[in-house]
Amino acid sequence: MKTLNIVGKSLRRADALEKATGTATFSTDLNLPGMLYAKTLRSPHAHARIIEIDTTEAEKLLGVKAVATWKNTPRLLFNTSATMTFTLPNQEPVLDQYIFDNVVRYVGDEVAAVAAISERVAEAALKLIKVEYELLPAVFDPLEAMEESAPDIHPCHAGKNIPGEIIKIPMGDVEKGFAESDIIYENRFTLPIQKHVQLETQAAVAQVSPDGNITVWSTTQTPHPSRIILAAAFGVSQSKVRVLNPPYIGGGFGVRIGLSAKAEPIAVTLAKLTGKPVKVVYSREEDFIASDTRHAGYVWVKLGAKRDGTFQAIELKGVLNGGAYCSFSCETPGVMGAMGLSVYRIPNVSYYGHSVYTNITPAGAMRGFGNPQGMFAIEQAVDEIAAQLGLDPLELRKQNIIRVGDPWILPYSCRSTGLEECISKAAEELNWQRRGTMNEPGSKILRGIGIGVGTHVSNSWPFCVDYDNAYITVLQDGSIMVATGVPEMGTGTITTLPQLAAETIGIPLDQVGITFGDTLTTPFDIGSHASRTLYAAGTAVVAAANDVRRQILEYAGDLLKTAPEHLEFANGLIKKQGLRDSECVGSGVCQLNEVQNFITMKDLAYHAHLRNKQFIGIGRTTPPNAPPWHAHVTEVEVDTETGMVTVIKVAAAHDVGKAINPLIVEGQIEGGVLMGVGYSISEEIKRDAKGKPLHTSIHKYLLPTAADAPEIKAIIVETNDPTGPFGAKGVGECGMVPTPAAIANAVYDATGIRFTELPLTPERVLKKLQEKNKNII
Amino acid sequence: MNLTTLQFVLNGEETAIVVDTSDMLVDVLRERMLLTGTKKGCGKGECGACTVIMNGAAVNSCMIPALKAMGSVVETIEGIGTLEKLHPLQESFMDEGAIQCGFCTPGMIMSAKALLDSQPHPDGKQIREAIAGNICRCTGYVKIKKAILSASEKLKG
Repeated sequence: MKTLNIVGKSLRRADALEKATGTATFSTDLNLPGMLYAKTLRSPHAHARIIEIDTTEAEKLLGVKAVATWKNTPRLLFNTSATMTFTLPNQEPVLDQYIFDNVVRYVGDEVAAVAAISERVAEAALKLIKVEYELLPAVFDPLEAMEESAPDIHPCHAGKNIPGEIIKIPMGDVEKGFAESDIIYENRFTLPIQKHVQLETQAAVAQVSPDGNITVWSTTQTPHPSRIILAAAFGVSQSKVRVLNPPYIGGGFGVRIGLSAKAEPIAVTLAKLTGKPVKVVYSREEDFIASDTRHAGYVWVKLGAKRDGTFQAIELKGVLNGGAYCSFSCETPGVMGAMGLSVYRIPNVSYYGHSVYTNITPAGAMRGFGNPQGMFAIEQAVDEIAAQLGLDPLELRKQNIIRVGDPWILPYSCRSTGLEECISKAAEELNWQRRGTMNEPGSKILRGIGIGVGTHVSNSWPFCVDYDNAYITVLQDGSIMVATGVPEMGTGTITTLPQLAAETIGIPLDQVGITFGDTLTTPFDIGSHASRTLYAAGTAVVAAANDVRRQILEYAGDLLKTAPEHLEFANGLIKKQGLRDSECVGSGVCQLNEVQNFITMKDLAYHAHLRNKQFIGIGRTTPPNAPPWHAHVTEVEVDTETGMVTVIKVAAAHDVGKAINPLIVEGQIEGGVLMGVGYSISEEIKRDAKGKPLHTSIHKYLLPTAADAPEIKAIIVETNDPTGPFGAKGVGECGMVPTPAAIANAVYDATGIRFTELPLTPERVLKKLQEKNKNII
Repeated sequence: MNLTTLQFVLNGEETAIVVDTSDMLVDVLRERMLLTGTKKGCGKGECGACTVIMNGAAVNSCMIPALKAMGSVVETIEGIGTLEKLHPLQESFMDEGAIQCGFCTPGMIMSAKALLDSQPHPDGKQIREAIAGNICRCTGYVKIKKAILSASEKLKG
């Protein structure tokens, strides 16, 4: 196999120096000449009709430049999430949002926005807007929202308050499978609302030129789809809209796949009304209450197995709380079913799932995208089967996991799996054999070990529209520019994509520049979501790089009078096969047309330039998807007096295909694990009886800090998937997926109690511990 | 509006700027002096992205009325190193992979610097406590803790 010089190395991030010195620019840092600041008036009611809205006093306030409401903004339906641009031709995207509407559907819904000379003036003006509401009945739980008596939140055809379609995935015959099972476990699991809490809140700055060209700097993870959405929302041609990151984004985790909540359309609306640049920065509270969350909801699982542990049938059902607008509510239950049923070799499977509109903050994409919810249920069912059969949960998993070539429900093949190796390595890291022997009788602090496994996607094909383009232009000194429409939101894109390009072409990494995250300067790319950026945009970059390499070798072949296949091209030097680098001193290209044995990339590019030629490589790809695999083994401590669960350590072994930059891959895993730990033990947004959210700030919403983060050991397993660039698969979301189940299984190991509801707060845990003690007494 | 001149030492330079008495330090730094390296993630002292060092202590600049800085010595991410000679923390954050989206990075480095300034050789617990007020949602803190430890070792020489 070819020796790799750049791929596989933990090279320093391309954006590290800017970010370490405070010079990196984010949307919230932008400051344009004449720029105005916007603030948004939000609904205090969960469901209401706006009878009257009077902005006169607000408009009179000194420093106020414009006030926007449903009356003076375009009435074109859209969906803030990129589902609007992803949905396949045989399905209808759900468009259910206006920039402002005369009905508000959750506490925090947009009512009006003000542009003023400062945020302070804009905030003061909001207080002067008079709104008369007619209150409408509201519903907050998805099961209640499906009842006939519930209010209709939007028109739906699949069922009461069900957006899009009901997803059904059948394979085999589950009834028969359960009939043939010796043992069956079934239960209902309850999942909370989790919030991304990306460090940079939703933000956008919009500028509209006198001739109507719209430029939006924003925190979007998908500049190109965001352009499509904005063009539709404002009824202008896409060629009039430019969306770009400036160039950095303070985290994403799915919260801005498409628009950054409504930051972009509000900024554009006010920029159009005032003729000046307008900046919208969500406060942290707005970010909590008015930008997408993870889907809460209910998951039912029924798993049947033979006495020897062989799984026979699984039935999974999900009803997710979609909140007030659709966002990604059609796709999320699909991923829950498709991924959840693709981990184990089970001949009979069935999934039924959908979301339900309610009067709470919309739920949308968040790291894991339905998969952590499903796996929380499935992986606990697997442990229950193991416990009832007296089998080691580790061995039971190894016995049943999907192997390469196995039939499964997914519309692409399983071409690689390192799951067994992941299980072994994670278990070894935590010394699995201690399990069951860790507690002294009568101990008040109980310890336990648990495991959770799973898979995910590497892009969203063929479930959604999913393609990438990349250009590589060779500059006249032989350095190159990669153009890709994906952003850099922290995941290392602008480091790893150049690594792929440099390795593929055969030039040093410092010869690679990159333009990214800008619809004006890059070809269309569906953007960063579905753990796809390195896998899918990377495939396009490798294709463009191969195109460049082929052109250069052809050109060099003519020059060196050698067939391209008899040339070597590495480290910026093209030479005849077998020639040592030390023999290639001084290229002498200026003595044109002389027969040579070698030529540098630099000289070749300039040689071509002098002959009116530039090399431009194009990559246009849709890779077929590939399953990443992961196993997490966790150790927890449960204080039986307080109910406090402390996660001591998480060993997270991930089959990522090939780690293009191992340091960056580890960072993805570690961050995902901690987000999963928070989801498992503390993070939750609750509401009062009227639907007002109670967790609206970082302090109220308990996410892990450095002081309470467990030890996390990321373990990389490489299986070289044949479809990925240099064998790579997705990784970004995977750290989230098996974490809740691994923790709940560890808590079960410690306490003997099966917890079916997240998060495992002291209150919840103590209650169950007390119930158990009562039963014993 | 109630304007006053704020005089303080900012990143080693005597500085004077007219501010409103209700301005917060973070807004004076970011909006008035365009020192946007200091980030604003919540405005309520809950995320630590706006951490600067004032008279040797790490503070949330969104919780400090600008006039509280009168006569004080303030350091921001822009002032702790030069491109020729970066602060060891900046070097180690880059080398250890402690930076992802980068939004928490300036505040995180400032909290770590305040720690190392007063305690050049902290143990793990001191490191965790020093950055407990700095939220990072990308890294799981693994490589950040490692970077701070590695910088403290560099300072040992």
